[in-house]
Amino acid sequence: MKNNINMMNKIVCFSFFLLIFFSCKHHENEYHSITDKIEAESKNYQGTSISSEAHIGDLKTIEITEGEHTFLIPERKSQIKSYACTECHTKPLAQMQSKDFKKAHWDIKLDHANENTMNCVTCHNPDNMDHLKSLTGNTIDFNHSYNLCNQCHTKQFEDWKGGAHGKRIGGWAPPRASMTCVNCHNPHKPHFESRWPARFNTQKVKERE
Amino acid sequence: MSNNNKKWFSLNLGKKEHVSSSSCSCGKTSGGCGGTSKAHDMTDDEFAEAAIKASIGEERTKDGFEQVFDVKMDRRTAFKKLTASLLIGAGAVSTSCNVISGDESKEKAQIDWEEQFKGNYKLMTDEERQATVDRLVRSYQLRTGKTINMSSKNAEEDVLFGYAFNISKCQGYMDCVNACVEENNQDRNSEMQYIRIHEMKDGKGFNFNEADDNYYHEVPAEGHFYMGTQCFHCDNPPCVEVCPVQATWREDDGLVVVDYDWCVGCRYCMAACPYDGRRFNWSKPEVPEEAINKNQHYLGNRMRKKGVMEKCTFCVQRSRAGKNPACVEACPTGARIFGNLLDPNSTIRWVLENKKVFRLKEDLGTEPKFWYFMD
Repeated sequence: MKNNINMMNKIVCFSFFLLIFFSCKHHENEYHSITDKIEAESKNYQGTSISSEAHIGDLKTIEITEGEHTFLIPERKSQIKSYACTECHTKPLAQMQSKDFKKAHWDIKLDHANENTMNCVTCHNPDNMDHLKSLTGNTIDFNHSYNLCNQCHTKQFEDWKGGAHGKRIGGWAPPRASMTCVNCHNPHKPHFESRWPARFNTQKVKERE
Repeated sequence: MSNNNKKWFSLNLGKKEHVSSSSCSCGKTSGGCGGTSKAHDMTDDEFAEAAIKASIGEERTKDGFEQVFDVKMDRRTAFKKLTASLLIGAGAVSTSCNVISGDESKEKAQIDWEEQFKGNYKLMTDEERQATVDRLVRSYQLRTGKTINMSSKNAEEDVLFGYAFNISKCQGYMDCVNACVEENNQDRNSEMQYIRIHEMKDGKGFNFNEADDNYYHEVPAEGHFYMGTQCFHCDNPPCVEVCPVQATWREDDGLVVVDYDWCVGCRYCMAACPYDGRRFNWSKPEVPEEAINKNQHYLGNRMRKKGVMEKCTFCVQRSRAGKNPACVEACPTGARIFGNLLDPNSTIRWVLENKKVFRLKEDLGTEPKFWYFMD
């Protein structure tokens, strides 16, 4: 008799624990937060079949590797209308400033940092017009002009490498293609102009009157 | 239709059985309205009785459990049900009553009929989804003579969409809003817009009460910053919870979507959303024919009707194809970043791991997948 009661007790206890165990285990909120979920579910990330290659289209790109990031940026030299520069710059600059030559680059007005910091030769090399030059005089290719910008704009460079700065081309899916500095910023006048918003909602005004 | 076989039509004023008489509104006593001659000899009461008996039959006396689990469905019952539904529905399919109407209008009526009684998109199989999309495309073609491209693409494995917004980059140009309206076929009459750009005073924090989301002056304005809000595609969305008909749900890739054909327009979700992310079609949405974006998705930018909810879907028709949403693509400052949260190498993941990010009303536990950050 006593055994029986003991047995009964055990069974009751056991089923009680079972009940508690299963009632606590619900799958709906498996993770405590979205960050946990992202972390857990991305552990076995296999990659997707979606690619943004088609959306990049015919854009000519070059692949660059900066730190641990490898991605595509638009090719630049073929986009510069008057490249190569030496096609016009056949003589030293001093001689080309005479009146016998057609005026060029009249529309460029430098509005980038102040006069103490920058002028034309901070980036351009009068002895080697086809390339840019770093602050220490090293040659920088026009296709990799971001190396010129990142001499001063180090924070933006870090963000750009990671993807927090600079717009994506194509789509979100790999392969990653990002705009390079000069695709959005005019290097001679890098700030964004103020302008009127693209839209004004007249209905909302009526609604709120 | 009246009981004494009149040759003219008269309204059934003062009679009780409107239901049965409206079951065939064609008013004819002969010809192809789909009704059999037997039906015409009946009184309204008898007709209703017969129709109901034929369609649901003995289920009337059964309780809910039996109706669902104890249904015998042999070929005979199936045919019986089919004919009965056709009989009752003939009124709705009024054009098919018409002997002179062409094949096209009959097909249109057939499509309308099938669309009317389709199920919830969430519960459909892939074939059913494809079928409804095909019907909608065909219907559009019949009505306008133009072909649209509609997708029923499901969520991809290993994808969870997330969004980041750089509040120090946004200049308030509102190019995103325009792109969104054009991409998503939003009502031009009521000037509906999913995205709101709030102009906020520096030093006042996120004060939405004092922010202006409909400014019109040169931007960026001195002493102000701009932040955009839209649907945040919460991982624990309160709008989904409150929907009485399950017309809105969270897809596996994290998108919170609406089945516009299942929505009853109760606007519970609008009230439940803490972020003002949902919009309601108070009037018949109108988009000029030439402005319609013909690249559509069933859950995304297909044409809506009056009285249903809609909202940002992260441009499901674009994002599931690998493109960025229209707002991301239109932003001239690169303030908007979109990507796959499950891909450890994606740019959105880098932003979340390396920038100081925050979300709106994080304490609510809604887990929005829309982060803000600063340079």
